[in-house]
Amino acid sequence: MKRNFKLLVFILLLASMLLTSCAQPTQAPVEEPAAEEPAAATGECKDEDRVPIAWSTIEGFYTIAMTELVADFEATHCVKVQVVGIDNSQLYDKQVIEMVGKTGAYDVVNLETAEKAEFAENGFILPFDDYIKAHPEVDYADVAPILADMTTQYKGKIWGLPYYTYTAGYFGRCDLFEDPTEQAAFKEKYGYDLAIPTTWQQHRDISEFFTRKTGDMLKGEPLTKDFYGTGLQAGRFQEIQDELSAFLWSYGGDWLKDDGTVDVENITKALKWYIDLLPFAPPNALTVNYNGVMDSMQDGQIAQTVGFFLDQWPNAVNTEKTVPGAKMCNAEAPENKAYIGGFLMAVSAASKHPNEAMDFVAYISGKEAQSKFSLMGGTTTRMSILTDPEITSEANRTKTGHFATLVKVFESMKDTRSNLFYTPFGAKIYNTLGPTLQAAAAGEKTAEQAVLDLAVEVEKICDGPCPINK
Amino acid sequence: MPSTSMSAPQDSRAEPKKQRRAMSDTWFSVLLILPAMIIIAFFALYPLFYAINVSFRLADLTHGGIQGFVGLENYRTVLFDKFFWQSVGTTLFFTVFAVAIEVILGIFVAFLINGATVAKGLIRSLLILPLATAPAVTGLFWRYLYDTQFGLYNYFLKLAGLPQPNWLGDIDVALWAVIIFDVWLWMPFVALIVLAGLQALPKEPFEAAELDGAPYFRVLRKLTFPMLKPVLFLVIVLRTIDALRLYDAVAVLTRGGPGSTTETMTYYLYRQGLVFFRMDYASTMALLFLYAVVVAALFALRPLLNMFSARAGAR
Amino acid sequence: MLERRKAPVEMLRYGIILIVLLWTVFPIAWLILTSFKPANDIMVTPPRFLFKPTLDNYIHAIARSNFALFIGNTLYVSLLSTFIVIILASLAAYSFARYNVGGGNLLFFILTTKMMPAIAVVLPFFLIFRDIGATPIGEALGIGLDKRGALVISYTIFNLPFAIWLMVSFFQDISRELEESARLNGYNRLQVLWKVVLPLAAPGIAVTAIFCLIFAWNEFLFAYILTRDAARTITVGVESFFTLRGILWGPVAAAATISVVPMLIFVLVLQRYMVRGLTFGAVRG
Repeated sequence: MKRNFKLLVFILLLASMLLTSCAQPTQAPVEEPAAEEPAAATGECKDEDRVPIAWSTIEGFYTIAMTELVADFEATHCVKVQVVGIDNSQLYDKQVIEMVGKTGAYDVVNLETAEKAEFAENGFILPFDDYIKAHPEVDYADVAPILADMTTQYKGKIWGLPYYTYTAGYFGRCDLFEDPTEQAAFKEKYGYDLAIPTTWQQHRDISEFFTRKTGDMLKGEPLTKDFYGTGLQAGRFQEIQDELSAFLWSYGGDWLKDDGTVDVENITKALKWYIDLLPFAPPNALTVNYNGVMDSMQDGQIAQTVGFFLDQWPNAVNTEKTVPGAKMCNAEAPENKAYIGGFLMAVSAASKHPNEAMDFVAYISGKEAQSKFSLMGGTTTRMSILTDPEITSEANRTKTGHFATLVKVFESMKDTRSNLFYTPFGAKIYNTLGPTLQAAAAGEKTAEQAVLDLAVEVEKICDGPCPINK
Repeated sequence: MPSTSMSAPQDSRAEPKKQRRAMSDTWFSVLLILPAMIIIAFFALYPLFYAINVSFRLADLTHGGIQGFVGLENYRTVLFDKFFWQSVGTTLFFTVFAVAIEVILGIFVAFLINGATVAKGLIRSLLILPLATAPAVTGLFWRYLYDTQFGLYNYFLKLAGLPQPNWLGDIDVALWAVIIFDVWLWMPFVALIVLAGLQALPKEPFEAAELDGAPYFRVLRKLTFPMLKPVLFLVIVLRTIDALRLYDAVAVLTRGGPGSTTETMTYYLYRQGLVFFRMDYASTMALLFLYAVVVAALFALRPLLNMFSARAGAR
Repeated sequence: MLERRKAPVEMLRYGIILIVLLWTVFPIAWLILTSFKPANDIMVTPPRFLFKPTLDNYIHAIARSNFALFIGNTLYVSLLSTFIVIILASLAAYSFARYNVGGGNLLFFILTTKMMPAIAVVLPFFLIFRDIGATPIGEALGIGLDKRGALVISYTIFNLPFAIWLMVSFFQDISRELEESARLNGYNRLQVLWKVVLPLAAPGIAVTAIFCLIFAWNEFLFAYILTRDAARTITVGVESFFTLRGILWGPVAAAATISVVPMLIFVLVLQRYMVRGLTFGAVRG
């Protein structure tokens, strides 16, 4: 009785030890680059001699695409790169705790635009200026200027190189906009032609127009499920702030005024407009971020998005496969203002191998890797790739069909410098915005009350007005 | 099982042994608890002192780290923080309702199964399933099940013509959605424990009562429940302690939302400590929480502890 | 009452039991079903019940995401910590039960250590294990950040108070006469504990073991903070399916299904002890 139990325990302990010795840490799927010729640069590089580097990054598709690029890097450098994938919602916490504990566990880290100032200010990451000067092949000037500024620069120094950008634009179901029945009905109701919206009022009209119940007609066919005019990321995540930014900046407002206080008036206005759109979005809008909106789009539930991350284009365009007759368009967001930013690859100050780490950063954000990355569905920040005719050709539409729009967005937003990205309290404020504003979206508070609460919270965080270091 | 062939000792050892015994009893008892106490002392007391220390300092890990003393400033900030009190209210609401529902339903189910004649083993095994899958994982699935567009629950409700609430997006419903998940997870646990208690009850009093012709509910009131008291007490205490510290379900189902309607104390603590890295507030809140729970426990557990001491002391 | 079992009452009884079982098992059944669904059949409305089953999700979960490692880690950490807890807690609980060391106060103190919210404790633990991991002993024993030893110790500490508390009542229920007679027959105290008491308390030990296992298996926060990659457990590893392409529900379901199996085995093996074990100390007086 008891003996059987002990036996069971030992068997299971044994099994677990066997399992764990068989399974390798994350990078096992990476092929040994034995077949690569360009090992000439390093001569014979034995496994034991390889310098270990750990790269903490967002889990998922990009990580899988990256393993191929990592293998190329390992072929030409005597380095072993371990890619540690972490879910987006935990990336910040995990990285900070390693920084605070000075463990040097992650040599290369991924930072959001709003987090860069905090990491730089705390001395968590190393400046890149010298490296860039010493390695002109980095071609820093190739990065879209607005992104180079916002994603990598703080207090006159450069803090790393961009990995990819999630700059926002707009996605819509052009098949709906081009349908004659819908066009006629829309013109009759609203008095102008149905097309991709360029103002928020048009966007609202389109949202209202396309919100229909099961049994109503869409494109001349009765609906088998409810349809909604727009998707919204109104869950208690950070992304609600990303969406609100589009409205806020189009009014000329910003999260923080130049004096470091919260722009109560404009934020309230944006929030009210946003809440007003909720009836035209699926009910689960209050629980989702970009995953949910993409799922809704691909399931044929929504007609368009608000300002939405253009790097999700490969997901959005998949709707053409899942919904018969669908045609996806991407464009700049209405009023040509939407959330902008990217992920920064920086080197941790506690890293034991900063030189190799910097080489790695330079490689991943370099032209060669970024070209491959784009063809795999990544969204690069390098202008040369974004305008490359072959990469942006029609054949690659499902991967790079949004690049042309992205170039336009950079041009439209080239003078936007949100104060949020230049305050050392940016990360904390960024993490406060979601919960505080979502309370109004959910109806727990009025918009006015939520923004007033926000002002109080931000003042507590910055202990007064927030310093802006542009 | 004790073996039946025990050899008798040599008599010459009887007397000196008795004298050594009085002293080394204490030693023996202390020795037994030593390994456990050392581990508990080090790993429980060190963080406690750390937290106490930090609660009196300014400690923003991403702005200067742990710094100088600020006296009771943190305590004042926390006690005046309306979000803190809101999270306390949410936690208490959740605890009261979740535990009450789990216990009542669990008792009911236990009685049902106790009277059943077949498949008891199978039923017990099925009941343990929710706990056997990590809540962090099943919680994810419940999020999917609760979804208004893709979820099964609203699909079935729609088929039945019933209203389909916005489980995780409606500020009036979300906390109940979390409570329902918790009930799903723990009601079987309660049922199993109460069932075990029921099955261990001695038969004689019940047979006697039946012979006397006592009505069912009288038997329940005067006989069953009093004898089940220790089991019920155990189960209520266990569940209450856990419910007060609810974190996993919230993190996975609602992230504290919509608004702040499902933000329990520990989730708020998590945001303060591991998102804002304000270790000063987090430590202060944790200590306040600990204090409150210890005080409550002192009152609630006193009878239990007296019971323990009495039985241990009875020699 | 036992004789007057009416058929309709019995049917009602079993009917309700069936409903309860359905309600309890349904989400898990749906989870298992989803694990066999191709990706395009998962996030669709209306929900799809008919589909072509596939093993892709399992392949993805095991081959492309290291899930076997996570399961191995979780097994190792849960089993080892439970094992240590049972040994330490048995000794301590016996002492409390028989000798009442420190009155009820020490026991109360032990219980209160469980009440400290884990989040406030996580940072000191992080620092402790960072420092231990840097020492040679730490290296040798595999204790440190992102090492399984750190989790083993953490879970031991968490489960110890609860295990002690639970087992005290089990020990108190074992009749002293048996121990006395064993003493009279020449066994010393340790032998009495080993040969007489522990076998009698086996059901109680089994129950405690189940709860400790369940806790360690399901724990999230410390696994999240103290591990990065090599020592990741299931609960943290599941998040590796939250990708930029969306949450991969299929592999999540497959991973979850795989991770239920060991726990189910444990519980099935140990559940017959649960009844006997739970009644010890719970129903007397």
